[in-house]
This record gives sequence, C-alpha cells and structure tokens, in this order.
Amino acid sequence: MKFGPKKVLMAGLLAAGLALSACSGGATGGSSNAGGPATTALTLGTLQDVRSWDPAQAHVGHGLQPYQAVYDSLILRQPDGKLVPMLATEWTYNADQTALTLKLHDGVTFSDGAAFDADAVKANMDHFKKANGPQMSQLASVQDVKVVDKSTVELDLSVPDPALTYFLSQAAGLMGSPKALETEGIKTEPVGSGPYVMDKASSVKDSVSVFNARDGYWNKDLQKFSKVTFKILADVTARTNALVSGQVDATLLDPKNGKQAEGAGMKLETNQVDWQGLLLMDRDGTKNPALKDLRVRQALNYAFDRKTMLDQILLGQGTVTSQPFGKESGAWVESLENKYNYDPAKAKSLLKEAGYETGMTLDVPSFPGFEPILAVMKQQLSDVGVTLNVGAAVMNTFTADVAAQKFTSMYFSLFQGEPWVAINQMINTNALYNPFKSTSPELKAMIDAVQTGGDNSSKLAQKVNEYVVDEAWFVPLYRVNQMYYHNNKITVTPQIQMAVPAIYNYAPAK
Amino acid sequence: MIKFVIKRLASGVVVLLAVSVLTFSLLYAAGGSIARNILGDTATAEQVALKEHELGLDQPLFVRYFTWLSNALKGDLGSSWFSSEPVASSLATRVPVTMTMVISAMIIIAILATLIGSAAAVKRGWVDRVVQIGAVIGDSVPGFVIGIFLVTILAIQLKMFPATSTIAPGVPASAWIASMALPVVALIINGVTGGAQQIRSAVIKQFEKDYVRTLRSRGIGEGEILFKHVLRSAAPAGLTVLSLQLIGMLGGVVIIEQIFALPGIGPLAVTATSQSDLPVVMGIVMYTVVVVIVVNLIVDLLNGWLNPKVRVS
Repeated sequence: MKFGPKKVLMAGLLAAGLALSACSGGATGGSSNAGGPATTALTLGTLQDVRSWDPAQAHVGHGLQPYQAVYDSLILRQPDGKLVPMLATEWTYNADQTALTLKLHDGVTFSDGAAFDADAVKANMDHFKKANGPQMSQLASVQDVKVVDKSTVELDLSVPDPALTYFLSQAAGLMGSPKALETEGIKTEPVGSGPYVMDKASSVKDSVSVFNARDGYWNKDLQKFSKVTFKILADVTARTNALVSGQVDATLLDPKNGKQAEGAGMKLETNQVDWQGLLLMDRDGTKNPALKDLRVRQALNYAFDRKTMLDQILLGQGTVTSQPFGKESGAWVESLENKYNYDPAKAKSLLKEAGYETGMTLDVPSFPGFEPILAVMKQQLSDVGVTLNVGAAVMNTFTADVAAQKFTSMYFSLFQGEPWVAINQMINTNALYNPFKSTSPELKAMIDAVQTGGDNSSKLAQKVNEYVVDEAWFVPLYRVNQMYYHNNKITVTPQIQMAVPAIYNYAPAK
Repeated sequence: MIKFVIKRLASGVVVLLAVSVLTFSLLYAAGGSIARNILGDTATAEQVALKEHELGLDQPLFVRYFTWLSNALKGDLGSSWFSSEPVASSLATRVPVTMTMVISAMIIIAILATLIGSAAAVKRGWVDRVVQIGAVIGDSVPGFVIGIFLVTILAIQLKMFPATSTIAPGVPASAWIASMALPVVALIINGVTGGAQQIRSAVIKQFEKDYVRTLRSRGIGEGEILFKHVLRSAAPAGLTVLSLQLIGMLGGVVIIEQIFALPGIGPLAVTATSQSDLPVVMGIVMYTVVVVIVVNLIVDLLNGWLNPKVRVS
C-alpha cells in the first residue's frame, strides 16, 4: 500500500471525523432549564456543596442559601436586613436582655409529617448547641431553652447578645424535623419545613442538588419556583461559561469574568460584603515594637493610594474606606470614611516623629490570590521608608497560627456583618483576629455598652468604630463589590452583607 | 504467564501499602488544625478538642494508620471528615465519570496516533513535516487552554455542546456523550501529537530493519508489511508511551474536570487535599495507585500478545 496524497487526506479526514463523532450527541444537554415561556425552574451556580444537610452544620454567607431551600428559619431577614416573622410570629426580650420569648406559628409541619412546635424548637437548639457545627457559637449565649407552652419558647441567656435575633435568621434559626435531627440520614437528605424538598435521586454530592416545590407549603409567598437546582461550579471560568450559555440562571463572578458576562447581556447585582486591608494585630508591640506607636499605625494608613490600588487590582469594583465596619451595619460613620487620605509626606513625618525615620519593617504572610495587592503595597510602603516583608504562604493551619500569635500583621479580607458579630471577630479580646488581645478600659466600656444596648446596640457600635479608626488598629483599604450576575429570565434582589442572596430573593421575570 | 501476573499483582500490593504509609504520614505532618478547619473561625478551644477526639486525631499516628488500614482491608474506606459521605460511595459515583473520559480519550489517542504516526513514517516529506510541527504545537499548548477555547467557540458561540457537564443520575446517554465531548478533545490533543511522534520514529526504525527488506523481496505488499509486521514490532514503544500518557492524564484530567464542572475525581481531589480531608485523600490515592498498577499490567500483557519477542517466560 502506498500513501498517496489522496489517501493521506482521507486518513486526515477520517481522523477528524473520529474526533467529531466523539462529539456528536449535540446540544440536547445545552439548556437544561430553558423550560417554556414562563420560568418555573431556577438553576443557580454555587461555589461549593454543603458539607452536611444537618441544619446544625449550616454556614454563613454563601453557605446559607441551599439550607434556606429546605429549612425555614425562626426569623426572616429581609433583603435590607430587617428582621420579620417567619416560624416565629413575634419575639420579645425581658428588661435586662437575658431572656428572649418567641411565639411560634401554628399548623406548620415538616416534610416527614412531624409538627413544628415549641418542643421542635427546643430539640433543634439543643442539637445545634452540641452538634459542633461551624456556627455553633451563634447560640453560645443561650443557656437554656424552655418550652413555655406548645407555641411559646423562652431562650435564657447567660449574657445579653444583641446579635441573637440576627442569628435566629441564620444557621441557628434553621429548623429541622425533630424526628430526623439525630439520625445519620439527615446528613445527606435534609428534612425541614421549608418551601422545597430535596429530590435525592436526582442529586449528586458536590455536583448538583435538586429540590422540588413542597405541596401545601405554609408560606406560599416564599415559594416562587416549582424546581430549584444548585449546580456546584467551583471554578469561576466554569461558572461564567455556564451562565452565558444559559445552563444556570444566576451565579457569583469576579470583575474580570463579569466583563464577559456583561458582554453576553447578563445583569449585575452588586453589594459589599467584605473589607480588605491590613490588620495591625501586634498593636501592643509584643513582637514588633514599632506597631505600639500610634503614629506608626497612622502613618501606615496614610501611606496607601487606595483609589489607584482599587482601580488596578479590582478594576474599580469597590469603595475606598478607612473604617472596618460596613455601610449597612449601623456602626458605619460617614466622617470616618476618608479619614486617612493618601498623604505620603504626612506618613513620613509621623514615622520621623515616632523615631523610625531610618525605616521600619512590617511582616505579613502571603495569601493565595493576594500576591498582586501585596506587591503593590510593598512598593507604596517603600516610598515612605517601610519595608514590607512578605513571608511564606499561609497553610491550612492558618487559624491556629493566627491564634498562636504567629503573625504580627496581615493583609486580609474580613466579613462586614452585624456590629456585634464584627466586634467579636476582630475587636473584642476573645476575637480570633485580635490574637494579641489588645484592649483598653475605655474600649471595654464601649463594647459592654454595645452588648447590653438592645435596639440601640448598632448605634453604640459607632463609638467602637471611631475608637479603632482613631487608634489605627487596622489599615482598611476598600470594601469589595460582590458581583452577582443573572440572566433576564429571573429577577434577583441583593441581600445586604451577603454575596449570594437569600433563596427568597429570586423570582421569575414578569 | 499466570506466575507473571501473580508476581506483578503481589508487587502491586507492596506498592499500595508503601504509598498508603507515605501519604498518611505526609498528611499527618501537614495537618495540625483539621478540627479547626472543620469548625471555622469562631470555635473555642474546647470545641476543637472535642472534634479532634471525635475524629480520633488525639491518637498516635501509627494507631490511626492501623485503624484506617484494618478498616480499608474490610472494604471500609471511612467517611469524609467534612461531609460525612462514605469515601467508597464518593469514589463509586466519580470514578465512572473520570474513567469513561480517560478511557475514551485513550482509545481515540491510540487510533489517531497510530494513523498519523504511520502516515508520517511511511510518507515522510511534507506529511512528516506537518506532523512534526503539529507535535511541537500540540505538546506546548496545555489541555485546559484548548478546553477553554473549545467552550468559547463550540458551546457559547455555536451552542453545539453544553458549556459545563450535565451529567447527573438518570440523564440519557446522549447527555453523557455531549458533556464528555469537549473535555475528551481537550485531553487528546497532547496525547495524539506526542503518541504520533513516538509511533513515527518506531515505525521508521522498523522499516530500516533487514526483515522488512526480506519481506519486500518476497513480494509482500507495503500495507501488509506495515500492519502485520512493522506496527507489531513498533507496538512496545507506542504502548509504553500510551500507558505513560494515561497515567499523566489522571493528573491533567483534574483541571479539565474543574473547567467543565464534571463530577469526576478531580474536583473531589482538589477539595479534599486543600481541606486535609484525610479519609477522602487516602481513598483517591489508593484508587490512583490501583489504576497505575492495573494499567502497567495490561500494557505488559498487551505487549506480550502483540510481540512474542517480549513475551515473558
């Protein structure tokens, strides 16, 4: 056999044909939820699957949404953050904020037929307190759950907790069937009273979770689709492709991929959930004496050209700020927003006054994803005579390392939640991100006032905010825009302090 | 022959044990705060200690290893520390996806590489040059770049394929094929060009041998010489390359599965490793070692079947 040009061409065509025949089967799978004129199915691209469907293992942020499909919470948090009745119809504190009485909705059942009542609430809370879930601390202040009558429970607190009602709209408020709570089964198949029921046979762990509308759901207004599918897409490129090709209706992207989605006509819903900046944790100067000097900490705040950094690193998707509290938190203070403007001359003179004219060193660990910003910071700090030492990348021992005072300062992204949550995350002496336990009698009094402040606590937290900004505990750079995109088949209302909205915030487009 | 297989399987078991000890110790050394990772930022020291006890992390390394080993021998690979899902059932749903993709890719690579490689060897001239240049390009462009390119053109612009996998329980075979098509194409490019290159040089070498001249002098046709004699003698080189490619593909498939959101081993491996989810990582490593051992065994047997000269006594 001789291979003439014709035969070679044929072989080539055959090869190409083989490759293509492997691809036949066509576009049938392309648009799984195009579904007719009216959208009745919702498909969401989510970043990761839940670890366990046990409601006590529910998480915050992105991790909450899937649980809401199947579990109702005691309190509903509206998109603007207002807390309104859900399974609990009303709630009242006693005078010293140490007992919270909840009235419960009558006639609600779980999908396995069990009734929702005061005993069910107690079973859930007792379970939550010992199940060692990631948000276990949400009920840390609750000492005892008392069943007053069938539709009334009283939560007795060891200390006042101004964030408790908020927590009851989050993981701690999710109610599972008391019959299923302590079983192995609930870890892989949830049993709640919520708007949807899991279709276990169609779901694959870490790939897709399918939910169908529950017949006879008590709160019809919250059940807007006949089917809800969570498609797990860990990779941002995969999420972008799935969204623009119509495989998912909505998903979370980043500034770069968002451009592509916008080009394909997707709509952006944006809000701000995290702030990024330096945490000057060793502010008592235990390991880095320079950080003890307020002038040094302020100089660091003046050293950064936040606007340019935001434009370069995040393509302008954010807002520059000098305060660590979020805009919708109630603790936000307008005058603090631009307290530390870019002023390298002032930074230098402050450093000189503090005796660091010849320079000082700041050590931070490296983080995957933060390399570009750390490089920019290194350069800007060197302009005022500060050497930024970027150390080894953090490991999965990170939280333990923070707690063990391994880092004197670090660049980080922190959630901007409710003031009391934020205080216990980064300011209080028990906060993980205050590992050197910095405090002062003055600050402690302010924190105590927030804790016992009841309805006023957010406002009282402004004092805490002012204190940590004046004392330059941090070097906040900006609040980051979360970029949630959706197609025009649905409408989406963003939820404050959440990158991914509550499941109730989606509706078919009219 | 049977003796050979038994010997190879026995050495496979030793490798399996050695790798399991090594992986277990490495993960143990890297660990540190797994309980804290599971519980999150707000957990107290007592909660962390409780969780560590629950997971058996407070026991010495060798006790933990032998507990794992004795369970594994009974077929129980444990459950994920994070999701509580049994490792065996995670693997059972994911291995078919990855293996379907890898095996279809290998079959296509084998056919195309043989065709293209032989064509280049027999034809030489411009065909050979095109294949040579193609090999350089194919080798230098990573599979995931090809994958992203294919998605943009064929899935997003032309809407011929789903952009990410639609594989789920109960979907028809056509959905499997449509979901697998682009990832498989992305996977085979490197393999085809590399494999063709190897087969080309092996075939050229065989054609220079005396037996080919003898066959020709006896008037045997070029086609028969190529398919019946030359390719057979060239097979060991090709098979070895293919087996190495298959093993390499187990790594390359991780990124491809991420981009196409295929529910295979890749995403599981990435998550489990970054979380130090030891039972899952151990399960995946064991699966990988078994695949490598089996592939090597099959290649040795195939070589013996194709070419009696290398047959083992």
